[in-house]
Amino acid sequence: MLKVENLVTRYGEKRILNKMSFKLDKGETISVIGESGTGKSTLGFAVLGMIGEVSENSKVEGKIEIDGFDINKLDKEDLRKLRWKKVSIVMQNIDDALNPTITVYKQIEEVLDKQENRNKKIIDILKKIDFPLNRKDAYPHQLSMGERQKILIAMAFISNPEVVVLDEPTSSLDTETKNKIIAIIKKLSENKAVILLTHDISMAKKLSNRTLVLYGGTTVEYAETKKLFKNPRHPYSRGLIRSYPDSSRTKDLQGIRGRAEFVKTGCPFYKRCTQAIDICSIKKPKLLKRNGSFIACHRGGIIPLIKMEKISKNFGKLQILNSINLTLFEGETVTILGKSGAGKTTLAKILMGLVEKDSGNIYLENKEVKRFDAEYYKKVQMVFQDTRSSLSHRMKILDIVMEPLVVQDIGTRQQRTGKAKKVLSEVQLPSSRSFLNEYPHHLSGGEIQRIVIARALMLEPKLLIADEPTSALDASVQAKILKLLNNIQENRGLAILFITHDLDLAKKVSDRIVKLENGIIS
Amino acid sequence: MKKNILNYLIAFFIIISLNFFVPRLMPGGPIEAIYGSEVLLNISPETKEAIISSFGLDKPLFGQYFQYLVSILKGDFGYSFYQNSPVLKVILNHLPWTLGLMGSALFFSTSFGILLGMESGWKRGSKIDKFLLNFMIFSASFPSFFIAILFLILFGIILGLLPIQGARSIYSNLGGMGSIVDIIKHALLPMASLIFVFTPSTYIITRNSMISNLAEPYILLAKAKGLKETKIKYYHAGKNSIIPVMTQTGIRFATRLITGALFIEIVFSYPGMGSLIYNSIQLRDYPVLQGSLLVITILVLVVNIILDFFYKKVDPRINYAY
Ligand SMILES: Nc1ncnc2c1ncn2[C@@H]1O[C@H](COP(=O)(O)OP(=O)(O)OP(=O)(O)O)[C@@H](O)[C@H]1O
Ligand code: SF4
Ligand SMILES: [Mg+2]
Repeated sequence: MLKVENLVTRYGEKRILNKMSFKLDKGETISVIGESGTGKSTLGFAVLGMIGEVSENSKVEGKIEIDGFDINKLDKEDLRKLRWKKVSIVMQNIDDALNPTITVYKQIEEVLDKQENRNKKIIDILKKIDFPLNRKDAYPHQLSMGERQKILIAMAFISNPEVVVLDEPTSSLDTETKNKIIAIIKKLSENKAVILLTHDISMAKKLSNRTLVLYGGTTVEYAETKKLFKNPRHPYSRGLIRSYPDSSRTKDLQGIRGRAEFVKTGCPFYKRCTQAIDICSIKKPKLLKRNGSFIACHRGGIIPLIKMEKISKNFGKLQILNSINLTLFEGETVTILGKSGAGKTTLAKILMGLVEKDSGNIYLENKEVKRFDAEYYKKVQMVFQDTRSSLSHRMKILDIVMEPLVVQDIGTRQQRTGKAKKVLSEVQLPSSRSFLNEYPHHLSGGEIQRIVIARALMLEPKLLIADEPTSALDASVQAKILKLLNNIQENRGLAILFITHDLDLAKKVSDRIVKLENGIIS
Repeated sequence: MKKNILNYLIAFFIIISLNFFVPRLMPGGPIEAIYGSEVLLNISPETKEAIISSFGLDKPLFGQYFQYLVSILKGDFGYSFYQNSPVLKVILNHLPWTLGLMGSALFFSTSFGILLGMESGWKRGSKIDKFLLNFMIFSASFPSFFIAILFLILFGIILGLLPIQGARSIYSNLGGMGSIVDIIKHALLPMASLIFVFTPSTYIITRNSMISNLAEPYILLAKAKGLKETKIKYYHAGKNSIIPVMTQTGIRFATRLITGALFIEIVFSYPGMGSLIYNSIQLRDYPVLQGSLLVITILVLVVNIILDFFYKKVDPRINYAY
């Protein structure tokens, strides 16, 4: 019914949509999600052949086929006749999408030409969308936002078009009205092809079967809606979902580092991506099919940072770990929840190479770990349970923080000091000379914890194992430390393996929670 | 609406009160102020008595004021000694010419201005838009009497196409159709000058507001709805573009009346209010002058009331502005 192929739109020199393709059948709804300015509305206008009306200085390439007509090839008059008969739109800007000096009834009426039963049709649809009929002859400014929104929706559906574009159809509405309108839309869009342009993830979830994630005008992920929201594969999709409040998720909101920037070459997301590699800034990744969904990423989406495969460990006859399988993705927090003595710390120590496993394999970024060498510790660091005792009382703060660089023999002293100062400020500690030269026994528990975290971050690890990192702290300090880790994760894509026995805490910090019980993970 | 009419009534009341008090506060007393010192020297004591009592000048101020209001309501604007006739009658002899001239000039200039402005705004940047815009700006830069004189010389004298003086041929005895044609012929040059002078401002206001309306999302939606071009142009964009024209016409009406009536009528010796005022100034016929000003004020107020009424019809948002 609707076919978009290699759609490219430009406003002036700026390319807004970049080779976008998708197909839509009767009864299907596709959500197009993405941050502000990414080109959602542009797509909407393109589907109606309106790019030229939006800006004279614009260009459209590629194909948009509705019911066999190529929108981009029609002449002006044919295009005019096709609009609203075959394709209609609810525009984003409800404030002034309605003409202020014409009654809303007349504004609906005029799309029906001279049809005889038009009055009945209008009344019918107004009833359907629950619009107060005695207000139908009102002027737009006499109606509430929700009522105006309903008028625009009624208008879009009344001519029974095959394709309907909904551009943020519920923005600026309260939740209750919003849910009502979503239900109405759902009813009206049966047997239509609907394009939903939104950054409202909850609406996308409720209305669409498929979702396309747009970043900088480029499709970065395209999958079944359920699958995408449950398990986003592209780093941007995950960031977008994480930053949207959702009652089914308990983890604190996280943003996406940096801000949207126009990128000429390479992956459009590479400046903000926490797992970018060299090629990302040079070559644009192709949109490829993987496991039934499409994703454009040189690394095939969010990478599995560490993978444990069938890890077992016995202490004498006592079986502690029995064939553990667990994968941590980049930028993800997984909590291992378990009672005291369940083997949580043992698992952490195996990962750190401090305890030898009996059997099983560990893979770091898809490569099997044979030796726990300096290279490994650059990527995997740990913060211990009992922090105070892990710090030498005879070392100054600066030396404690710099230690990992000294051990790995990285950089000059000056460079190490610089790095230490930077990391200290990242964990919100002072980096003044006097502070650097202090001894740790002067510090509070929270400060010591920050120093330990700073030390773990010196090598810019990709995985941080945190074993009850806040158990010794009071609640307010704990909250601060956890928030800090959350921010560091947002900025660096750090994966965190969080170990605790506190379920409420686990819910607050993690993307996933696994339970370790009787040597088995569930 | 009610509130508005009240506003107008208050404005009207203030103006007629000023008309009463100002001459009384002038040096030399009201009679001198109203009739001029020359008149006073030339009239007999009896007449003076009559004047004094007709104005109630022998009564206390409040009584005078009351009498003044009553006589205005009765249509008694005083007496002109120069014309030897009641002021109201003098004015009524001249007013229809001005109304006819101004009315038709306003009608045509507003229609042209709106139509051309809409066309220009719709085709912004096109050749026709550029031409119209330049032409209007160019013609707006001339003072009205200059245009009038230019027309008079060009069409009246050099080409000899049209009469250049008066409102009709005095000595011919044309009946029926003939006299109507004669009147139109006489009105043509002053009217053309007025249209020429009035059109640019309406055009420019319409064009600007058309351009800004065309950028509104509701126009984009109208296009998305597949409406016909004429419908979008005149119904969706055009209608809203007239709104500022209406407010502006009200505001400018007073100045237009003065530029129009005064200068142009004088150039063409057209026997309207402009010529009347001009002559009264020269003769210092103060009663006529005062009466004329009052009538013009009333005219301005009435025009504004009418425009207000239509303005609200076109723009439903206005009722909410109060
Ligand atoms: N008429 C125009 N001329 C030039 N650039 C434009 C025009 N309209 C939009 N753009 C640019 O195109 C890009 C995409 O805009 P678009 O409105 O499609 O974004 P969006 O995804 O709908 O954003 P939002 O979520 O805020 O609605 C933006 O960078 C915007 O600045
Ligand atoms: S890994 Fe590279 S290609 Fe993939 S999203 Fe990040 S920057 Fe883009
Ligand atoms: Mg938008």
